[in-house]
Amino acid sequence: MLTSTNFTRRSILAGIAGLSAATMLPGGPAWAQEQRSLTVRISREIQNLDPPFMTGTTDSNVLRAVFQRLVAYVPNKYEYELDAAEKMEQVSPLQIDFTLKKGQMFTGGYGELTADDVKFSFERYIRPDAEGKESSYKADWAALVEVQVHDTYTGSIILSKPSPSLWEVVLAGTSGLIQSRKAVEALGAEHSRTPIGSGPYMVTSFEAHRGLTLSRNPDFADYVPDYETVNLIYIANQKTAELALRAKEIDFTELSIDAAEELIGAEGITVEKRPGQRFVWMGMNMQKAPLDNLAVRKAIRAAIDVDEMVLAGYQGNAPRLNTMIPPGLLGHWSDAPVYQRNVDEARQLLAESGVTLPITLKLTLLNEPGFQNMGLVAQALLSEVGINIEIDQREAATFWSSGKGESGDDLELFFLRFNANPDPTYNARWFLPSQIGDWNWQRFDSAEFARIQDESGSNLDRDSRVQQIIELQKLMDESASMVWLTNEVFALGYQSSVQPAFLPDGNNWQFPYFKAI
Amino acid sequence: MDTNWELFRPFGAHETEGAGRLRLFENFLFNRILTAVLSVFGAMLVIVVLLNMVPGDPATALLGPMATPEYAQRFIAEMGLDQPIYVRLWKFFSQVAVGNLGTDVISGRSVNAIVWNALPHTFALALASMGLACLIGIPAGVYGAVHKGSIGDTLMAMVSVVFVSVPSFILGIFLLIVFSVMLNWLPVLGVSDNATLGDHLVRMILPTVALALGWIGLIARLVRTSMLEALGQNYVRTARAYGLRENMIHYKYALKNAVIPTLAIIGMGIGRLLGGAVLIEIIFARQGLGSVLYDALQARNFSVLQGSVFVVVVIFVVVNLLTELSYSFFDPRIRYNRR
Repeated sequence: MLTSTNFTRRSILAGIAGLSAATMLPGGPAWAQEQRSLTVRISREIQNLDPPFMTGTTDSNVLRAVFQRLVAYVPNKYEYELDAAEKMEQVSPLQIDFTLKKGQMFTGGYGELTADDVKFSFERYIRPDAEGKESSYKADWAALVEVQVHDTYTGSIILSKPSPSLWEVVLAGTSGLIQSRKAVEALGAEHSRTPIGSGPYMVTSFEAHRGLTLSRNPDFADYVPDYETVNLIYIANQKTAELALRAKEIDFTELSIDAAEELIGAEGITVEKRPGQRFVWMGMNMQKAPLDNLAVRKAIRAAIDVDEMVLAGYQGNAPRLNTMIPPGLLGHWSDAPVYQRNVDEARQLLAESGVTLPITLKLTLLNEPGFQNMGLVAQALLSEVGINIEIDQREAATFWSSGKGESGDDLELFFLRFNANPDPTYNARWFLPSQIGDWNWQRFDSAEFARIQDESGSNLDRDSRVQQIIELQKLMDESASMVWLTNEVFALGYQSSVQPAFLPDGNNWQFPYFKAI
Repeated sequence: MDTNWELFRPFGAHETEGAGRLRLFENFLFNRILTAVLSVFGAMLVIVVLLNMVPGDPATALLGPMATPEYAQRFIAEMGLDQPIYVRLWKFFSQVAVGNLGTDVISGRSVNAIVWNALPHTFALALASMGLACLIGIPAGVYGAVHKGSIGDTLMAMVSVVFVSVPSFILGIFLLIVFSVMLNWLPVLGVSDNATLGDHLVRMILPTVALALGWIGLIARLVRTSMLEALGQNYVRTARAYGLRENMIHYKYALKNAVIPTLAIIGMGIGRLLGGAVLIEIIFARQGLGSVLYDALQARNFSVLQGSVFVVVVIFVVVNLLTELSYSFFDPRIRYNRR
């Protein structure tokens, strides 16, 4: 039976109007309330908080605040100190013994941190999980044979070959985080959203696509973080982050160089700019004609002006880089040649090469203003010696697959940027012959390079290891397939009432050491 | 063969007029729902094909350079991207049939949860924006028609054109600079962790205004044009002859007829806004559906992208169906026997 309702056209229209008006009502200025908490902007969504499957620095910054490691970085330096371990000793090149502090409790009632948890956490990297899923950071623990558990608090890490970078890169890094076996097994996939750790903070709320809240872990006894809570807010847009910092809605954010320039001098805001540790270079595909000709590659290197390109790309804010490893990192080749533009030499090399001028090459680059500007300068400079450049700019996902598989066969010139790792052997691995078709976009195919890189990975003598790393950089230089451009600059902006803590690369933020001043 | 069952109806068993209308309505509804289902299917087909053609490696975009080739391969398989399009479509619709939009391979979360978390933010913003646009745009359009050629009308025409032509994200940034940074009256971020209703509402003001301004201009122009036509009709002259007040003639009689064409635009606008006001959500850091879509596309997160696009398409189709149904509600002269 049909019944009449009380709705009329007029009442509905009035309702819509009322609803709209209601949504416009002002409320209390809660956004401006003072809180004993730190609000940090993250530019990328938090994806996965299970350490072996985390997806980047946004995830790892959270994880390092939640979990303990045997050793952990001190604030602002690549130096480490004991964390969950009371004692650690490298008893032989293939064995590290550890003793844990007693009474370190996992949150959520998952019990005390034990040597078995260390075994479980580290061995997760080298064995697929129950569903056959492997960690994407498997290579970090490539030398691990097993972790032997002697009793509740002691154990030994057994390696298959000496691993000089294990301490500072793996044990003190995100791959050295210690999880609770009980929690991971009990929570399953949920553990990637509600991690159970024993570190200074614990995750108290996590809203996908929004961010999360870290709260002090009351059971963590080593020290008390200055901030009771750290709110991580996902703000994708750079301009919004800048405005939110100005309006004091966020306390800390990474900034673009342009935004940093604008914010310098803004009241109550501190801007920090430092040389970065990401290396940027112009690569040439050595297997694609005419770039398979050494003289052509050398001519291109001689025809471009690195200083001018970097100036155009970074407005004078970024330093020039002359070799793969940036200054300040182990293995930096301080005597690397500083190539200056020499048009006559470039023309002579092209004449010797036997190629018919003009030649046209495609320069593939990421659609970022800095890269676009450098590309335009390179285009102008190379045209003077008879090399026409077509610029192919691509958005991130498309760009990062440009050199992979078969699509890499057609690549010619490109700008590329990698994050430098404190371990120089790790940085060199992307240039191995085995990386051709994956990340070795130059297709730089040197057996000698592969041999030295492999040897350096197990050389415990620091001085001779540095020499090996320098040898690697010399081989790269001889190939003329990489013209190093810059190690960029990173910029961070924060309220002057905050004293942040972050590692020298500017990406790894140490929330437990942030202080209110 | 088309059978006319009316011929076999027993003598005296003619339908009443009410039952006949109901049957016409049922036929109309059935046709529209069928069209809607086909539209959703067609849209999904096009979208899956297009997604397949988008260049870029999802494994690289999501996993980064650290991923081993083996893991990247496994990841591609988990996303189902190694399968033909028809298999992926079949799997997707089989899941949808039981109310499951799939699982985000990266986070392990259900796409249903991701979409349902985002929808309230999108609904609130879309309805508030369109409500505000109607609240200002309709009276402005009436004013422009009634005072045709006046300074106010000319001024409104200029302002409307500016509102319509300036992209909402430019307006959004402008509003942020003025009201949040310079005046410090309103917050920059469009969503709060502080869950008080008042705070949520305050945070909605700027994104709502930024989104509504363009629609205010459009609705004002449409209503003005329709009103000018309505004001020239005989029934308006008759009403005047009866001595009715001008306001009553404008708002009770003329506007009721003039607003019908605008309804279609408003319906389509709500559909679009519910589908995600992508740029505004990004600028104001709101985690609505548009923002989810944008991030999923950037990361080539196909499982999330596919599920959220499906919801957007369904919302758009449903809102348009409701808009069509509402015509007769607002104008009783419209019946469902017209196809």
